[in-house]
Amino acid sequence: MIANEETLRHLMVKAQAGDKQCYSSLLVESEKWLRRYFARKINPAAIDDLVQETLISLHRKRASYDPTKAFLPWLAAIGRYRWIDSLRKIYRHEHGELNEELVADPQDETVSAKVSLERLLGMIPERQAEVIAKVKIEGFSIAETAAMTGQSESLVKVNIHRGLKKMSALIESE
Amino acid sequence: MSNVANSLIDDLVDDLSPVRSLKPSGGMAVAAALTMLACGSVAWFLGVRNDLAMGMADEMFFLRSGVLLMLGIATAYSAVNLARPGVGNLNRGWIWALVTAALFPLTAAIMSMINTPPVEALRPSEGLRCLTVSGMSAFVIGSGLTLWLRQGAPTSPERAGWLVGIASGALGAAAYNIFCPFNDIYYIGLWFTLPVLASAIVGRIVIPRLIRW
Repeated sequence: MIANEETLRHLMVKAQAGDKQCYSSLLVESEKWLRRYFARKINPAAIDDLVQETLISLHRKRASYDPTKAFLPWLAAIGRYRWIDSLRKIYRHEHGELNEELVADPQDETVSAKVSLERLLGMIPERQAEVIAKVKIEGFSIAETAAMTGQSESLVKVNIHRGLKKMSALIESE
Repeated sequence: MSNVANSLIDDLVDDLSPVRSLKPSGGMAVAAALTMLACGSVAWFLGVRNDLAMGMADEMFFLRSGVLLMLGIATAYSAVNLARPGVGNLNRGWIWALVTAALFPLTAAIMSMINTPPVEALRPSEGLRCLTVSGMSAFVIGSGLTLWLRQGAPTSPERAGWLVGIASGALGAAAYNIFCPFNDIYYIGLWFTLPVLASAIVGRIVIPRLIRW
């Protein structure tokens, strides 16, 4: 079971003050929370790396946490930034480039709803969401996705590109 | 939990040292200090416009100063708030300040359509100096804000780039404004708009690369 919001906030405040025991507990809880958060949002083989990168970002950017605010929205914002960054890296690696506008920016307290990755996928056309989910989250190849969805391989690539662009614009407009 | 995750957590805990929570007021203090430095430099090297030095500044000076400062403060405030992800409000007040500031070039454009302004009203050589000095001031202010933002975790680098660019351009122009002796709307609409526009574009292109994390 993951600790509640108030406990996590308290642990983070102590961690900012240099309390190693509280920080250790916070990182353990954060690791569990991030695993659940990233589940079904990226290729399962990539979850370990993404969780670890997010924990390192949490460590490096711990001064950016506002102790008067809730902890989980802050952690979710860090996690979503790393998630999109990892998608950008995968996409660049596989396809050469990705729209630079793809960013994460949950500037709202209702972050738990707004940062929902499924929600973003639900806001773009179904054909685009379907191929992004298959290739980027479930880890299928372009050829496998093309066979499963009935789209040509080039159409799958185009739909991934267009879908990620639309998700980027949606994030920017929120 | 995997051994790798356990080992990483141990390393991070070992590396823990106390940090002070980043406060937007720190970023605003940086912007204010550098704006005052720019104002001081303009006054020292170029001087202060005569009517201001005599304590009888033209009303256009107050309007121009007020609009530039409001735009600079509103955009700088939104920019420094981007350093703390997932918290705070949307801080969209800067949009209204930008719309208000746009009244100057808009009025100049409408007036130009009604009465074609004489070329000398645009004063190209003085205007280029305005652009250069405002741009230099904007560079100093924008550099300070960018360095401050690097301490934080801006999750929207592109938006931060726009905002820092507009803020530093407006505050840089506000610094030059204490020397600039011209009050006509054509001059202000052109030469006080260009530094803000140029700074915004440079900010959008350059700053995201510097603040990614």
